[in-house]
Amino acid sequence: MMQRIDLAPMLRETLTTPYSDMVTRSTGVALRNRIEDAISGASHRTTQLDFTAVGLLDFSCADEVVAKLLLRVFDEEDHFVVLSGVTDSHLDAIDHVLERHGLSVAALGDGPLGARVLGVTTPDVQTAFQAIQRLGAGDAKRLADALHWTVERAADALQSLALRRLIQAAGGTYRPLMLP
Amino acid sequence: MRIITVPHSLDDKTLDILAQGIGDWPPGEGLLFDARASQWASPYGLTAMLSLGQALAEARLPTPRFTVPEKDEVKSYWSRAGFFHAAAECFELVGKVPKRTSDPPSDVLLPVTPIRAAEDVHHVVGRIQERAQRILAAELNLAPKATVGFAMALSEACQNVVEHAGTGGWVAVQSYNWRKRLGRKVVVIAVSDSGIGFRRSLEPTEAKKVGDRWGDGAALELALLQNVSRFRDPGRGQGLAGIRRYLGRWQGKISVRSGTARLAVVPSWDDDDPLAEYLPFFPGSQVQITIPAQEADAP
Repeated sequence: MMQRIDLAPMLRETLTTPYSDMVTRSTGVALRNRIEDAISGASHRTTQLDFTAVGLLDFSCADEVVAKLLLRVFDEEDHFVVLSGVTDSHLDAIDHVLERHGLSVAALGDGPLGARVLGVTTPDVQTAFQAIQRLGAGDAKRLADALHWTVERAADALQSLALRRLIQAAGGTYRPLMLP
Repeated sequence: MRIITVPHSLDDKTLDILAQGIGDWPPGEGLLFDARASQWASPYGLTAMLSLGQALAEARLPTPRFTVPEKDEVKSYWSRAGFFHAAAECFELVGKVPKRTSDPPSDVLLPVTPIRAAEDVHHVVGRIQERAQRILAAELNLAPKATVGFAMALSEACQNVVEHAGTGGWVAVQSYNWRKRLGRKVVVIAVSDSGIGFRRSLEPTEAKKVGDRWGDGAALELALLQNVSRFRDPGRGQGLAGIRRYLGRWQGKISVRSGTARLAVVPSWDDDDPLAEYLPFFPGSQVQITIPAQEADAP
């Protein structure tokens, strides 16, 4: 099970203004505090931050709500964060702050790109991540066969994904964070 | 009372003339700013004028006087751009000011607006988006993605006031035709505050590292070019970095004046000096972001 946090209503509850824009660092801090409270009060291993209906996202707010949240969550073993509802208008800010901190995050998507890795990534990591969304659980050989890669190349990509909390891995097997 | 003539055209270049007229800071006597012959002011000029009035008030100096332009069309324009409404807070206005009854002029995307807290940034961003999208797309040939970046740049520029100035400031956004300078339309964001400035903001953490070269220019270079912030948090300093990234993509320009220096990231279409030092002192910080209309084959 995945914990879903709908950011637009949370933003409206946090602020007294009628706007749906995630702007300013202080807004980001207030939102992140609420998200952290919600995460600590739930038993789920994966949290989905849903950006649907969020208007503008600026760099400072993205730094607090995405980058700093990931840094906090990475201190806890076995907790994962995925994003959804991310549009083109949010991408610049999210990519920028993640790159600045050397972080990555998985984004669910219905568009032509589908699920993808935002922030720091490589072509192999992106390809492996998207393949795993299609293939489901498996091991390095399965991924290698599907992508016509060597097992070593597939294993490297899987290790990078696992270290960045973009997939769940255990005992040589892996599975995507969000199973269909 | 000393009389200081406001330049006929008040903008980022002629502000230095105004600053020269003020002389040493804080001034030792009451000031009267004579704008009777004024013909025009950019958003940068109007917001800088307001933060000067605010700085004089915060220095507990006598309320400065400001004689309004004589030309009706100039007065009317400044009134509709929100200048006199704001100026009444920090100047004693001399002369008849038109009532601010009509909408802002069509080229004013955001009239002069105070920035004092994070909520003000929300209001500015929320208020400008629809109008900005329409004007940026229709008149400046900017792609939808560029209009998003524009609002982000505006948000970050305003936040700098809230986060770093230690006092309030003013923002205004306007589009106009730079026929002589560029031959194209531009949209300009101007943000000015009367706060502590970049040098004092960074001094506790950076002055010793820089050594003899420390000053307004060095502080601007650290903040604008190296994303240095007074906060140790590694996520800080991203606002100006994000603005530069956006401007790099759309051939925009940013110019920041603080204290006695002005630093600009200059695109190929402009010939401004990247760094000007030893300028006459002007209180606070003044930021100008300029985005030109895109050529038809722009990205």
